[in-house]
Amino acid sequence: MSAADRARAVLTRLVEASAIERILISTAALVLSILIGTAIVLVAGRMTTCAATDAVYYLGTGFCYDPVVVFDRLFLGALGEPFSGNWSPDGQFAVTLRETTLLVFTGLSVAVAFRAGIFNIGTQGQMVVGAMATAVAVLWASSFVSGALGTVLLIPFGVLVGAVFGGLYGTLPGLLKAYADANEVITTIMLNFIATGVTLYLVSGPFKDPGSAANQTVPLPEFARFPSLLFGSRQDFSLVAFAIGILAIGGLYYVIEHTAFGYDVRTSGIQPEAAEYGGVDAAKTVVASLTLSGALGGVAGAMYVMMILGTFQTGLPSYGFDGITVSILAGNNPLGVGVAALLFGILKSGTTVVQFATDVPPQLVGVLRGLIILFVAMPEFFRLLGRRLSPSGPERNPVATDGGRREGETDE
Amino acid sequence: MATAVHLEEITKRFPGVVANDDVDLEVERGTVHALLGENGAGKTTLMNVLYGLYEPTSGRVRLDDEVKSFDSPRDAIDAGVGMIHQHFMLVDPMTVTENITLGNEPRKWGGLAVDREAAREAVVELSARYGFDVDPDAPVEDVSVGEQQRVEILKALYRGADVLILDEPTAVLTPQEVEELFGVIEELTAQGKTIIFITHKLGEAMRAADEITVLRDGRNVGTVAADATTREELAELMVGREVLLDVDREPAQAGEVVASAADIVVEDERGVRAVDDVSFEVRAGEILGIAGVDGNGQAPLVEALTGIETPDAGEIRFLDEDVTSASRRERIASGMAYIPEDRQERGLVMDFGLIENALLGSQHSQEFGPGGRIDWPATREHAEAIIDEYDVRPPDPEAGAESLSGGNQQKFIVGREFERDPKLVVASHPTRGVDVGSIEFIHERLLELRRQGVAVLLVSSKLEEVQGLSDRLAVMYEGEFSGVVDPADTTEEELGLLMAGEQPDSVDERIDSGTEQTAAADSTGGEGA
Repeated sequence: MSAADRARAVLTRLVEASAIERILISTAALVLSILIGTAIVLVAGRMTTCAATDAVYYLGTGFCYDPVVVFDRLFLGALGEPFSGNWSPDGQFAVTLRETTLLVFTGLSVAVAFRAGIFNIGTQGQMVVGAMATAVAVLWASSFVSGALGTVLLIPFGVLVGAVFGGLYGTLPGLLKAYADANEVITTIMLNFIATGVTLYLVSGPFKDPGSAANQTVPLPEFARFPSLLFGSRQDFSLVAFAIGILAIGGLYYVIEHTAFGYDVRTSGIQPEAAEYGGVDAAKTVVASLTLSGALGGVAGAMYVMMILGTFQTGLPSYGFDGITVSILAGNNPLGVGVAALLFGILKSGTTVVQFATDVPPQLVGVLRGLIILFVAMPEFFRLLGRRLSPSGPERNPVATDGGRREGETDE
Repeated sequence: MATAVHLEEITKRFPGVVANDDVDLEVERGTVHALLGENGAGKTTLMNVLYGLYEPTSGRVRLDDEVKSFDSPRDAIDAGVGMIHQHFMLVDPMTVTENITLGNEPRKWGGLAVDREAAREAVVELSARYGFDVDPDAPVEDVSVGEQQRVEILKALYRGADVLILDEPTAVLTPQEVEELFGVIEELTAQGKTIIFITHKLGEAMRAADEITVLRDGRNVGTVAADATTREELAELMVGREVLLDVDREPAQAGEVVASAADIVVEDERGVRAVDDVSFEVRAGEILGIAGVDGNGQAPLVEALTGIETPDAGEIRFLDEDVTSASRRERIASGMAYIPEDRQERGLVMDFGLIENALLGSQHSQEFGPGGRIDWPATREHAEAIIDEYDVRPPDPEAGAESLSGGNQQKFIVGREFERDPKLVVASHPTRGVDVGSIEFIHERLLELRRQGVAVLLVSSKLEEVQGLSDRLAVMYEGEFSGVVDPADTTEEELGLLMAGEQPDSVDERIDSGTEQTAAADSTGGEGA
């Protein structure tokens, strides 16, 4: 067996890996990335100078940073000290879930487009548009209702507004792709800039809060924000939003696996010619899936406004771009998005804990985070790659003539 | 006679499969050896081993009794082995001479420049030696397919090939060009070259070869002398059981017109008319065949009929309704089944299992997708029924489409389309690349549908198939019907001429009546066939 054959065999194995195997592979990758991260922390610690009392000693050698502490803080800190005995729901764990909730929506947004074979980089822009629309619409509506009734009415209303405006902002590149053959990667990137620019104008002009120096809308009244059940209000996390996220995961899974629309989306995504043959309207599917994708991004925006910030401000964090990583990490599977968003949420929230608890520079923590994502995503990435390269991949030569067989095709 | 090629105990494994299992093959110098077998029998794999594309898992390659080990085709070429692939590897805008000498050009000025004169002379000399008819200065894109094939052969000879491997050389040729090719092969062997040609057509193997080796499931199941065997014996060796080679069929009971096309024009991306003003009609209970060399407009015509493309002009009617601009989905729903030419691109989603593939085209139907929600249990049952009824192997509905062999993929598609309870079946090359046993099966099913009063449009480049099955046969050449004939009283030679765009005198009359029939039927909707 030559080296090329061996490489091909490995790729084939990856492509054919079952769900359990993939979870095992991901776990192994996680462990491996922590081991390598440990080495990097140790080396970086040797290259820094620190007081002898601050140093830790392994095998008689002193290191400035202790990898055990770093990873302990990164994970256990993010989970709010589950083993300390005084775990409280409104601690760091709430921050982790808050991040997870938003990443669930942006991750699903990217995933649904991916399943249709569309690379939606515009989730960020769709989220910005959804956030702005929610902030303005809910503020307007909050003058008509108040109290608990206000909360019950305004929360669904705000989420809906976010979904509609985010969705419309996704329809735009969908139409451009379906009817003008415009590459969605280009259009969605450009629409991100447009979203940022237009909202900046709106929020610094027509919708600016006159009582604030910052470019932001008038803050929403407390009753128009997600209620902080169980988890306290300190960390801006709401179990209601989280529950909506769980519902979205289940709902999208159902749509993709159990509806004719989902079947159309999946078929167009992996084999457009076969979809066309099977009566799938390619243009409609592109528009519909990008609209759905945009709507999910818009909901993330609505959550950001109604759960975290309470107002719309320019410079939203890059949840939309993180959603791309989450989706790839999840293999574009809605159920996987839940797990990947949680991992990503832990890493995001854990990073701040590490910075508080240790002297490790934030850049180094970023490296560790990147390593973990890289390692966990890599097998999935190779799987996607392997589908294209390996003998059993879908990218095959067209069937030739009588008795024609593509190279590398196997006999039974 | 000396042995030119000796493959000893060649085994080639791919992950999970054995493509060649302990195959021995001996080819005498100066003879033609046919490698016969069904699709997937391991013929091309074996030859790729000889040509250095694959390294055998075990076994030895001997040329002139010397053990060789090839790391790449380059080594094989240096050792005098040339291979002509099914798809020609020629640079279209370059001339015949440039293509033949490409990579091995004679040099002048100390190797700095190509000596065009010497190259041309070498090509002229080479083609004269073997009596080849090629124009050394013509761009390859301007010469016929047969001539391109000769250019490929000359290219191998120019590089010093003594052993020539031809992979399915006749697949792209008209019957006349096939005859020319056989002439070329005779000339080559007369001058001491050794030819191995891969085919799954019994007739060709018997016609052109001295010896025939049959491969089945990657094993050599027998080597026989061509003049001491029969078609039946070869077919049995290939399939492993007895095969009915002739189709039994009763006369057509043609009924109402089910589908018709009037003055269809389809333009390709460059604005060239790929289908130029074609009209026809198909009636219930009849098979209308469309013959022709590939690429003469059959594919765009079928795509216009089935709703994948919209024609640029003309009208398509189906069940008395104008469906010219109806979507593919509407056409499927109204009873149009379509076996596409390319099963791996269109007919199946390769990453899906058979259950999901059974749904393709029916995902919005009342039966499997009522209210937009897919009834997976019903779909599973449907897939199981197709697998059972059409003998798809392995009989596992969970199996991925890509794990099936070509013949089984095709049987699954055929089953899915036939089970739609169609009014019209458009079958585009339904048996292409399919093994003999499955061909027989698919033919029987098509005739069964015809018996049940389904209209069938059969497109194929295999003459014996369209001739054997069709009630009326249209021949397509450069986007037009060059004739509509009764297959029963038209000879293969006449069809060959029609396929080459020429009008044989003998069928002029029948063509005229054929077109008139269609024209008359278009205007009056009356009796046609």
